[in-house]
Amino acid sequence: MISLLTKAADEIEVDKKQALRFMGCKQEIISEDFDELYNECLELYLASADLKAVVRKTDVSFQDGNKIKFDFGTIESESLKKNLRGCKSAYVFAATAGSEVDRQIKKLSVMSDGKAMILSCIASSGIECWCDFINDEMARNKVLRPRFSPGYGDVSLCVQKDIFDFLDVNRKLGMSLTEALMMVPVKSVTAIVGIVEENI
Amino acid sequence: MNIRDLLNKRRVYFDGGLGTLLQKRGLKAGELPEMWNITHPEVLTDIHLAYFNAGSNIVCANTFGANSLKYDNLEEIITAAINNVKKAIELFDGDKNECFVAFDMGPLGKMLEPMGDMPFEKAVSLFAESVRLAEKHGADLIVIETMNDCYETKAAVLAAKENSTLPIFVTNVFDEKGKLMTGADAKAMIAMLESLGVDAVGMNCSLGPKQMLERVREYVKYSSLPVIVNPNAGLPRSVDGNTVFDVDAEEFSDVMKEIASLGASILGGCCGTTPEYIRKTVEKTKDLPFIPTEKKNYTLVSSYTHAVEISDEPVLIGERINPTGKKRFRQALLENDIDYIVSEGITQQEKGAHILDVNVGLPEINEDEMLVSSVKALQEVIDLPLQIDTVKASSMEKAMRIYNGKPLINSVNGKKESMDSVLPLVKKYGGALIALTIDENGIPETAEGRCEIAKKIIDECKKYGIDKKDIIVDPLAMAVSSDESSGRVTLEAVQLIKEKLGVKTSLGVSNISFGLPNRPAVNSIFLSMAFEKGLNCAIMNPGSAEMMQSYHTFRALKGFDKGCAAYIDFASRITLKADSAACVGAADNENGDGLQYFIIKGLKEKAYDNAKELLKTMKPLDIINGHIVPALDVVGKRFEEKTMYLPQLLMSAEAAGRAFDAVKSGLSTGKAQSKGRIIIATVKGDIHDIGKNIVRVLLENYGYEVIDLGKDVPPELIVEKAKSEKAHLVGLSALMTTTVEAMAETIKLLKKECPDVVTMVGGAVLTESYADMIGADHYAKDAMGAVRIAGLVLKG
Repeated sequence: MISLLTKAADEIEVDKKQALRFMGCKQEIISEDFDELYNECLELYLASADLKAVVRKTDVSFQDGNKIKFDFGTIESESLKKNLRGCKSAYVFAATAGSEVDRQIKKLSVMSDGKAMILSCIASSGIECWCDFINDEMARNKVLRPRFSPGYGDVSLCVQKDIFDFLDVNRKLGMSLTEALMMVPVKSVTAIVGIVEENI
Repeated sequence: MNIRDLLNKRRVYFDGGLGTLLQKRGLKAGELPEMWNITHPEVLTDIHLAYFNAGSNIVCANTFGANSLKYDNLEEIITAAINNVKKAIELFDGDKNECFVAFDMGPLGKMLEPMGDMPFEKAVSLFAESVRLAEKHGADLIVIETMNDCYETKAAVLAAKENSTLPIFVTNVFDEKGKLMTGADAKAMIAMLESLGVDAVGMNCSLGPKQMLERVREYVKYSSLPVIVNPNAGLPRSVDGNTVFDVDAEEFSDVMKEIASLGASILGGCCGTTPEYIRKTVEKTKDLPFIPTEKKNYTLVSSYTHAVEISDEPVLIGERINPTGKKRFRQALLENDIDYIVSEGITQQEKGAHILDVNVGLPEINEDEMLVSSVKALQEVIDLPLQIDTVKASSMEKAMRIYNGKPLINSVNGKKESMDSVLPLVKKYGGALIALTIDENGIPETAEGRCEIAKKIIDECKKYGIDKKDIIVDPLAMAVSSDESSGRVTLEAVQLIKEKLGVKTSLGVSNISFGLPNRPAVNSIFLSMAFEKGLNCAIMNPGSAEMMQSYHTFRALKGFDKGCAAYIDFASRITLKADSAACVGAADNENGDGLQYFIIKGLKEKAYDNAKELLKTMKPLDIINGHIVPALDVVGKRFEEKTMYLPQLLMSAEAAGRAFDAVKSGLSTGKAQSKGRIIIATVKGDIHDIGKNIVRVLLENYGYEVIDLGKDVPPELIVEKAKSEKAHLVGLSALMTTTVEAMAETIKLLKKECPDVVTMVGGAVLTESYADMIGADHYAKDAMGAVRIAGLVLKG
């Protein structure tokens, strides 16, 4: 069973501190001029982002060596095995801020690379906050492990293909993978979240 | 009987869901459903037969994902899939004449360029391969369904049109806000698909029937084609680990009855629906009176998000993307500076244009290529419909083909040669058409004469099946300074053509004032007069405050502007402009050195205005050395000291760039001395380019000439450019571990082909040691690092 979650962009608050960190800024030195610029880009983000996600549960079982079996396939990874230690099941999710944000970043970059960078960092923070929200939803009555995305540690990006099929993300979220296994829209995340304990 | 004939006679029924039924029969998660055509033909035939028995006329073969991206044995799969439906028809007891096999074509699962990496023509050829097999093996129609992107929909339709004569049905997936995943609304899809000449349009999947009601109303209102509605059985939820849908057959069919009475004439189901849902829908709707589809008269053009309706409320077509009389624009075309072209588009959008004219013809350049790359770049970021403006048929065809929507075509005229070359293109690719009232005998001197030519063009269009509603006649405003009757005759022609021929009209307004002083005054008054005569489209410069004033005033006075809101907004922005000019002066006085301040603060337009002001009293080089360079030094220093951060640095760099633009016009050479030429690119496979863009901006500001090859650039192209541009330094960017390999490959090829070229690399995943490992000469930790490396490599 794949569950679909959607939110309007303004329903999920963007962590400004995190966005500034992505830009390499410290909050204490931000000037008023810069704040104005930040708010202008934040408005653009809120007008263009369309938050969507799909979540599906999978069984988890550990096999020889570092092999971990999921409903969507097998992953060989030491770091993921460590992350999922003791888990019998896990959530797999894909989340996106939608294609319009990508377009707006591209559009801004024609007029101002500075603004494009600010918008890009706001969108990165926005999608992280969206993932945090999804995490909180999944964590009701449960103990979960920190989310683990393909590409972290020794997990190859190749597993994205299986995860994309498993979650039917192309149909449900309009996401797809490029030949080099990058996600489109760019402001997207996939992750595995181990379930340690249920019904607490 | 042909399905096209049946559509005119009565309501037609599709089948329902297939996936959920296959899962019930044992299809496992992760298993490819199309393989079951070969391994479990009896199951498929059984399900297809159940749908025919329930009353379906059109049953889709199990070919949703049947394309050569997924299958090596495509022909075997398609043959088996079609045969399974044919077998069901054989076994069916009822009227076999009203049973049809549809070849079902879903999305490729890849996002098209520029958002993704699938080229448009590659998508067309993948669909084409499946279409040819479908027709060869006896499908009765092509059903293009579950499409969530406008561009991919167009690719599929073109493939179907070019490779078969079968009827084409198209359904898109709208979310609750009424949009496709990539942003198109219903009106945009209807405009494009009708114009491409498909047989039926509609929606499927994602929503239950109730949530589709609003969309159905919209389709029925705007579509001249029969409307298809194939909803899901509501929304899925989990019960005891099984997926169930929350709308049962009873409720589903009740809503389908409502949908039928709204005028949708092709009904079926999607995910979660079963033969029971279809049977009940047929039962409840078969005795409802059939409403034949009526022809609609909306004049629509569309972009990848929305349609612009050309009606009594005037539409503004921005004319600035055009080299005629514009030195800077000609230069951009000669230098292949697509960003400049796009920025002209963005500015016009911000000023209020509804459609953008795109004319990039220059004798010195390859117009085919330039028009295609301009249209691609514009539609990547600007959601306004485009007006493709060229006299070259080959350029027009190429641009129309890759256009994402229904374009406006500028133009056809009454000459036989023009009609013979343009009209077949409109027939094939779709579009609305600007028709100029000129023919072999020139432009008639009377309104009646121009009306005659318009009629001739309309009649010729009819032969091609191009509807009158898609023709917009331009009776050609000529300079009143050389013929004093020109204004009067043109205005009369606008009125006469509208009244007599019932078509929309357009004018290139500012021609009227050619040769006169104070042209804006003449243009704006003429525009008001033309609007009053019923002009629908004005091709003009939306940056002209006078003409925009006429436009906004006209709308307010004619009752198009509720509460005069747009007029008030426009009027308040005009005042703002005066304020900001005052502000420039004030800041200047306070600081004594305005330009440096504006650059450090990253205030682009103020920096530009100030530099222009300084030019009156200072030499260009003194402004550069005395103001721009010191400001950049301050910014660079603060950045190194971490009291200023990257976005601020970039804003300052942009402000310096604008100031430099202002000063450049005063330099005799037109160009400042370059410190050296650098090629930069994001490597093949990588679609992230913000980091690379930042490096470009900084390098340019430090006086280097940068040739930016963009993102996802193959090694061969980088090598070719390094050779042809004689660049000594090549900067490569990669953000993902997977694409560092492409970086290594590029460096290897560069070392082999151009041993003198120095390479520098950067990007999120790279480290000094990683850079060493792949053979790069330099590693740039950040953008300032790249500047330092350029300083080292290109000194003297």
